[in-house]
Amino acid sequence: MVASPTSQDSSTDPALINIDDLGFSYNQGKTETIQGVSLHCPEKQVTAFIGPSGCGKSTLLRCINRMNDLVETSKITRGSINIMGQDINAPDVDAIELRKQVGMVFQKYNPFPKSIYENVAYGLRIQGIKNKSTLDEAVERALKGAALWDEVKDRLKDSALGLSGGQQQRLCIARTTAVSPKVILMDEPCSALDPIATAKVEELISELRRDFTIVIVTHSMQQASRISDNTAFFYLGELVEYGDTNKIFSNPSVKQTEDYISGRFG
Amino acid sequence: MHTGGHILSEFDSALKAFKEKTINIGCLAQQNLEGSLQGLFDRNTELCNKVIADDEDVDQLEISIDDDGFIIMSKYRPFASDLRVVVASMKITNVIERISDHAVSIAKRSRKLIRSPELPEVSLIEPIFKHANSMLTDALTAYSDGNQDLALSVISADVELNKLHKKATKQLTKCLEGEAAAHKSYLHLVFISRWLERVGDLAVNIAEDVVYMETATDIRHGGELPE
Repeated sequence: MVASPTSQDSSTDPALINIDDLGFSYNQGKTETIQGVSLHCPEKQVTAFIGPSGCGKSTLLRCINRMNDLVETSKITRGSINIMGQDINAPDVDAIELRKQVGMVFQKYNPFPKSIYENVAYGLRIQGIKNKSTLDEAVERALKGAALWDEVKDRLKDSALGLSGGQQQRLCIARTTAVSPKVILMDEPCSALDPIATAKVEELISELRRDFTIVIVTHSMQQASRISDNTAFFYLGELVEYGDTNKIFSNPSVKQTEDYISGRFG
Repeated sequence: MHTGGHILSEFDSALKAFKEKTINIGCLAQQNLEGSLQGLFDRNTELCNKVIADDEDVDQLEISIDDDGFIIMSKYRPFASDLRVVVASMKITNVIERISDHAVSIAKRSRKLIRSPELPEVSLIEPIFKHANSMLTDALTAYSDGNQDLALSVISADVELNKLHKKATKQLTKCLEGEAAAHKSYLHLVFISRWLERVGDLAVNIAEDVVYMETATDIRHGGELPE
């Protein structure tokens, strides 16, 4: 049994994502992978989810843009997730529309086997934008925002698959931001990258928080402490502690959090 | 979830050895302090010389502890209470080294006093030394045991030490107004009293770091005490 979370509101800033008593099951409700989690992610801040494998952090992340809908036997067993006041699991909410507002960057970078330009323009084209100059501007803006423009501006027509791993991941971030979502979800975005590429993505995340609300799952304590404003620690599907990142990593309130972040957990 | 040792047992060993080294430098500095005063009270120049020589060990240990602290931080990237232990220990080590420097200063003045005729006013130093040394013992024990209450008691005890120092200085100043032949000796005693009062302040610094290490509360410069 884990302790009750000490705080559900990490900051006094207005929350963009409100998760309230959320329960989630992968097997039609027989067992809950997420058990009554409540937390609020403030707008234009970075919230990190940490915890050991199997604690439910990635599952919760995927609940935020309903990626779990793709798992047939999955089910929200209780509670709700509201984004900008809208219950995202309400019957009238279209998951595809939701994902335009809530983009996602995955652990393994996954650019389409298309050109660099087309990767970034893809989401905009799906939205029906055909005007070339509008697309050009949006692609340039997104690539600049992802700190990739200078590296690729002379080879926009080259295959995205020819980029380095770090560049491919930043391209995926540009692809996500090009459609101007409100929220960006990141599931261990640096786990396949070397330290230099990781540093670039981390710098990028710091820049992106000006325009986007970011939720990131990471196994790296150092990364969570460096890049996030708020940190939530999960264990066995429950939220153990949620609070200001500096506080969590310097003086957590719950012993289980201290044990986990300081490596006394096995 | 278990709440025992670190997942890297090597880290636990490194942190334990690091703390033991910090306790060790504290013991050496305290031995030097006691030696310097014992040298004065027993008029033992040999003891004073030993204190001056032994300070080198404290200096070298300070450098070694700083190195170990940097290695632990860069190698294991400690967080929360582990990080506070490393940072507080490095700060405490620096304070302890300064205490040993004060012991050397006291030993040097004691040697000069020993060369002159014995003064009854030397006895004024004894209660100041006892109080300062007791504060230092408590501060080091508080560090070793992680005892926040004992650390807080060190901070309270400083008031009494200041009173003792003030009282002795007042009496020694009166002595300075009289017999000119012993002026230098009285001045030596004033300095020794002052350094012991500083040792008390440094013991308070150690205690403050212990409170931070244990509770993450910074009580320096009027900071609020932990709940």
